[in-house]
Amino acid sequence: MTASDPLVEFRSVKKSYGTFEAVKGLDLTIGRGEFVAIMGPSGCGKTTTLRMLAGLEAPTAGTIRIDGREMNDVAVHERDTPLVWQSLALFPFLNVKENVEFGLKMRGIGAQERSDRAMLWLDRMGLKGFETRPIDALSGGQRQRVALARSLVTEPEMLLLDEPLSALDAHLVIRMQGVLTKLQKELGITFVYVTHSQSEAFAMADRVVIMGQGEIAQIGKPQEIFRAPQNRFVAEFVGRNNILSGEVAGGAITIDGVTCPLPGAPDGAAEIVVAADRMTIHADDPGKGALPADFVSEEFAGTGIICYFEGPSGEELKAQVSEAQLAELAPEPGRRFWLSWAPEAAHSLTA
Amino acid sequence: MAKRPSVYPYVWRLPLLIWQGLFFIGPLCLMVAMSFWLVRNYRMEPDFVFKNWDRMLSRGFFWDAYWVTFLRATLAATLASLLAFPASFALAFRTSETVRRWAIFFLIVPFFTSYLVRIYAWQVLLAGNGPLNAILGLVGLGPFTMLSTGFGAMVGYMTLVLPLVVILQTFSLAAIDRNLIEAARNLGANPRATLFQVIIPAAKVGLIIGFIFAFILTFGEFVSPFYLGGSNPPTLSILIVDTTKSGQQWPRAAVVAVIMIVTLFLAAFAAVAAAYRRRS
Amino acid sequence: MRPGPLLSWIYLAALFAFVFAPIVTSMVFSFNSDRFPTVPLGEFTLHWYETAFARAEVWTAFRNSLIVAVTAAALSTALGFATAYTDFRYGFRFKNAYLALALLPPTIPLVIMGLAMLAWLSRLGLSGTLPGIVIAHTVMGAPFAMAICRLRLQQMDPSLEAAAWNLGASPWRAMGAVVIPFCAPALISAYCLTAAVSFDEFIVAWFVSGLNKTVPVMILEILQGNVDPQINAIGTVVFLTSMTLVIVAQLLLLRKTAK
Repeated sequence: MTASDPLVEFRSVKKSYGTFEAVKGLDLTIGRGEFVAIMGPSGCGKTTTLRMLAGLEAPTAGTIRIDGREMNDVAVHERDTPLVWQSLALFPFLNVKENVEFGLKMRGIGAQERSDRAMLWLDRMGLKGFETRPIDALSGGQRQRVALARSLVTEPEMLLLDEPLSALDAHLVIRMQGVLTKLQKELGITFVYVTHSQSEAFAMADRVVIMGQGEIAQIGKPQEIFRAPQNRFVAEFVGRNNILSGEVAGGAITIDGVTCPLPGAPDGAAEIVVAADRMTIHADDPGKGALPADFVSEEFAGTGIICYFEGPSGEELKAQVSEAQLAELAPEPGRRFWLSWAPEAAHSLTA
Repeated sequence: MAKRPSVYPYVWRLPLLIWQGLFFIGPLCLMVAMSFWLVRNYRMEPDFVFKNWDRMLSRGFFWDAYWVTFLRATLAATLASLLAFPASFALAFRTSETVRRWAIFFLIVPFFTSYLVRIYAWQVLLAGNGPLNAILGLVGLGPFTMLSTGFGAMVGYMTLVLPLVVILQTFSLAAIDRNLIEAARNLGANPRATLFQVIIPAAKVGLIIGFIFAFILTFGEFVSPFYLGGSNPPTLSILIVDTTKSGQQWPRAAVVAVIMIVTLFLAAFAAVAAAYRRRS
Repeated sequence: MRPGPLLSWIYLAALFAFVFAPIVTSMVFSFNSDRFPTVPLGEFTLHWYETAFARAEVWTAFRNSLIVAVTAAALSTALGFATAYTDFRYGFRFKNAYLALALLPPTIPLVIMGLAMLAWLSRLGLSGTLPGIVIAHTVMGAPFAMAICRLRLQQMDPSLEAAAWNLGASPWRAMGAVVIPFCAPALISAYCLTAAVSFDEFIVAWFVSGLNKTVPVMILEILQGNVDPQINAIGTVVFLTSMTLVIVAQLLLLRKTAK
């Protein structure tokens, strides 16, 4: 899927450091007004991609266009791609307002206008009354908002965010997610958000780009990625998925001697993914289409409880249940259960 | 950064290369070259002869001076390391962070007071009829001859290096992981065994660095041996000063200087090797 | 039981007594009437200050020292900062050799430095001049300034400078608006410390100064004559000057690092 009104285009962009290829031939289009999250494990090239967009790194090959203009030879300070840094990078020797005014000052905007615009943004970010505070007198959440105000005060078309919430306490993260989503909708500008956290990416982004080892593993809406991972890497990274391998014949898959319907799948070896919350646990063998599994342990996971099982060939199986269901099942380690899923909950992997 | 030729990095990189090249490497190279030059009629003439080297290396007084300097520096570095250790140990393990910080500050202070004035003060203090002998006289000791002796020179050396050695030792001792010491105690090591088996090996690098700094500084010192040690026997630095200042024999002084630099280089190299040698 | 803390404190006190004995005595003797001081002390007097500062050459020497210290400190600090910034920002081939060049000068014995400088500066026609001393002191001071600036840069978030570029500052403006303000306390203390180093240095200055003596060179030459308590008076003034510089430097460093 491609954006209808592209703002950013990566074309075959490569970045290598010596023999190490951080980004291998990236093709990505980001639309105007879109909230895109780039997600992946550390070292997957997501931060390098963002830094190339800001001009902090030069691509080894390929081109990056912003608004149709080729950016390869445009210096960092000549771009309009403000970044919210992981460390926030607020200037410790300037006060709150001076930090926010910085970008305007660099653009040669007069003192009065600078002050007015900075005040407007401080007000908007709920920081009125904090103008003359030094940075080290602020809380984590307040610093975060100063960093946002500092980046947005120049009214850019695009905001880059590099794991901006990673240093915050859990309860603040949720609150800041709300602030960011609302801000993006109100301003209507493009947000490119780099993170290793699924919950942040899925909660905020219109589209999620999953990267692994310098390549795009999948692009799609959060729901698509969550429900229909295209490959094993995504299925494992997105987590709480059961990955099962078996043999398909005549619209059904046989896993460890148990046959379950899998309509429309071509014959041959195949891997399927079933999300943990789509698994049903049976205390007694329902007869057909259920995998025998020995209970191992449970884990409280906020929205429910994940039960871990060991399958017939030793594979780890997961199923999500509610507290009430768990109480009813009353599992003990080693006890045998049977797991089944509806045919439409299974999703074939392409690779 | 987007690639674009820029003068920016070179504005920061080149000044040092130019300045130190012109006024540090240049002088040192000239000095080495000068050791092969000749002095005729009180004027130096560029040449390439080994006459100066021959002249210096074949003389007994040069080798006497060399060994005096070497042994005194070794003694001073050893003494400074031993005298500093109990103080560094106390600062590292027995005092609070605040006390330690102030102690370090007061150990840095002397570096910025005139060393010359301090040596002069010792000259007065240690004089035959000076305050120290007067105090010792009150308890029926002395008077001792302390000036123009090896002892006098050693007092000067300690004045120069002791604060530095304490600072270096304290830093390396304070950096030891406390768990290591507690683990040793927990495993039944007595304080003595803990000190020799755990603390000293763990702080080895810092202790060696303290020693070698003391050696380097005292090896090249001029003031203490001259004013407190009576310049007899002369050290290499006194030799350089005499040869340069009175004799106009710069090339011969250059020979001494080159030998000193080589010695220091080898000593520093040996120290680094000892400090970072793999423990077997 | 381990040896009591009392022993530790006694040992520390003895060590500090040794370190500070010459500093304190020279100050005390500078107000003492005896030419050959001993205990008990003579009477309080300002005689040595009066005689010392009645001499024109003492004032000239102070003026020379001041000119040299102020100039050499400025050059050392600029050079040290540029080098520290290069080390902080850039990696390049032969960087180790570059850093060795930056940090080596203090390991060369002063008499050797003096001899080498004398020979080199004579060929440049600068020996016996104040610029000659300034050059030598800059070579010796730059490594200290570099070390102080480097430590300060170590505390700087590496993204800080990039954040300035990202907000539209050219590398030059980012230097002026971010890096230098951040390093300001280190720059001031580097300036004070290198000025103090220059103000006290006498061996190299003695080799290259000729007739343009600085204060410590003058002290050295008085010392070669005879015991003269004027040295205590001059020394005390020098000490107070250097200490003022050092304390200013230290306070700036402590205040900033304490945060």
